[in-house]
Amino acid sequence: MTSLEVRAEVEAFVYREARLADEFELDAWEELLTDDFHYWVPAGRLEGDPAEQLSYLNDNRTRVATRIRQLKTGKRLAQLPMSPMRRVVSNVEVLGETDDEIEVAANFVLYELAAQSSHELRVWPGHVRYRLRRRDNGLAMAAKWVELVTAERGLRNLTFLI
Amino acid sequence: MGIDYPDLVRGDRVHSSLLHDDEAFADEMDRIFVRGWVFAAHESEIKEPGDWVTRRLGNESVIVVRDQDGAVNVLANRCSHRGTALCWEHRGHSSSFRCTYHAWTFGLDGGVRSIPFPSGYDKNTEDLGLDVAGAIESYRGFVFVNLDGSAGPLSDHLGEAGYALIDRLCDLSPSGEVDLSKGWIAHRVQSNWKLWPESDSDGYHVGFVHASMSATTDTYYDDVAIGGEAVSSSRALDYGRGHIELDFRPSFQSELAWLGTTREKVQGYCDALEARVGKARADQMLWDGPPHAFLFPNLFLGELVIAIVEPLGPGEMIHRHTSLQFEGVDDRFNQRLLRQTEAAVGPASFITSDDAITAERIQSGIGGTERRWAEGGRGWIDLSRGQHRETRDEQGVLAGDLSDETTNRGFWRRYLEVMVERAPA
Repeated sequence: MTSLEVRAEVEAFVYREARLADEFELDAWEELLTDDFHYWVPAGRLEGDPAEQLSYLNDNRTRVATRIRQLKTGKRLAQLPMSPMRRVVSNVEVLGETDDEIEVAANFVLYELAAQSSHELRVWPGHVRYRLRRRDNGLAMAAKWVELVTAERGLRNLTFLI
Repeated sequence: MGIDYPDLVRGDRVHSSLLHDDEAFADEMDRIFVRGWVFAAHESEIKEPGDWVTRRLGNESVIVVRDQDGAVNVLANRCSHRGTALCWEHRGHSSSFRCTYHAWTFGLDGGVRSIPFPSGYDKNTEDLGLDVAGAIESYRGFVFVNLDGSAGPLSDHLGEAGYALIDRLCDLSPSGEVDLSKGWIAHRVQSNWKLWPESDSDGYHVGFVHASMSATTDTYYDDVAIGGEAVSSSRALDYGRGHIELDFRPSFQSELAWLGTTREKVQGYCDALEARVGKARADQMLWDGPPHAFLFPNLFLGELVIAIVEPLGPGEMIHRHTSLQFEGVDDRFNQRLLRQTEAAVGPASFITSDDAITAERIQSGIGGTERRWAEGGRGWIDLSRGQHRETRDEQGVLAGDLSDETTNRGFWRRYLEVMVERAPA
């Protein structure tokens, strides 16, 4: 049984992470990551070994740093201007706890405006699994795995932090 | 009165109405995707009898299936009774196809297996099989289809250059065989499909559209594609028949630059390649890398990536890609290819996401142009860059500087040929 404190701590982390991503607070978002962070958006379900699959996104810590650097160049056409977007995160569940890690699941819906080209409103429904790790100043994110409802149908540009 | 294509596709410019016009789109789906050869699938996707994948070729959904005897069949994904789609997943395995509406059942060759309560028909039910492709030819696993069977042999379409480009790709595999069975990822873009043969083979934009990628990572594109005529000795090539290449080979600064690595890191691969083709040839191939080429009308040989251009409507398309995988290498090597593909191509990639936004901006820009403006000089797209300095070699290959629009003109020249040749009488 998850304590109310842990639950509150996890929810606060998840909501903050969502807000930083929505607002392109890239440095603050990157500070949430552990050195072994893994970021994964598969082409289908969250199944199998990511290393063996062709995914939309499969970033180790180095590659996610590159992703953030690219967004910060001011020349990233796909995010010029950056997408106005907001996500709602809900159904937060603590799936498991060890001394230093917490496994968390949640659902989300993200609304994005393609302000760079067609001004289409793009809707991104999905499920997210976090692996959160305790460190001195609170929780950090060791993994964020995102399963999109639309994964098998194909996606528009996914050039923000999902 | 149909569209006057020669009036809208000139040697040095193209009218932008062709990028959003409904009638042009309908003409293209018929003249290019039904009456011409198109790429459909790779045999490695359907290794065993009964393995199938679905594909959209122009406006038609088809099933590409391995038959019991090993042959590849291409069947309309549409029950011959009332039109119900037979398969609704991307891939699968079955010994027959059964319609969920009235249980009509078809063999892997599209022939009728059974129809419930057959006494209700006074015709020969054996004649009620699925529509099948008129012509199918495979080369080194690449399956090409001509739906109506009227386009002549595949060799007329590919020409020597088309085969040679596929050879250059497959020969890089130590076994000589490539595997494309990791699944295809769909990048949905709000643009006309013809913007992608152009984008995928445009050498002029790289330093601009991809400036953020270049500023962020050490990439070989800095050597082979950025800086244009001042820096790069790469070439834009038009082989004819709409087959075009950005030839980076003259510009690589080291062997295996195209793989972003050095020999020590992939020694096993290099040794295996050398064992098959010999040291001299392997050394050359390891410098040259795979082609960056587009085969008319829908197949992109994008170095380590293979992509299909899939039209959905005048302003909607899918750029569908997979990662090249080699046979005869260790898992780590193929994983390197997967990671490189993820970085380069697709919705969340560092490169083609910026091409997608560019294509969508073009679509926004040209969305209101009209065919009748052509005469008054409005709405044209200029493709004349480098036309004055192109050279033609003894094989007839046109070559320009990497930043010249030789490739773009090559695509449109073939487009015009087929739109005229295959116009209804």
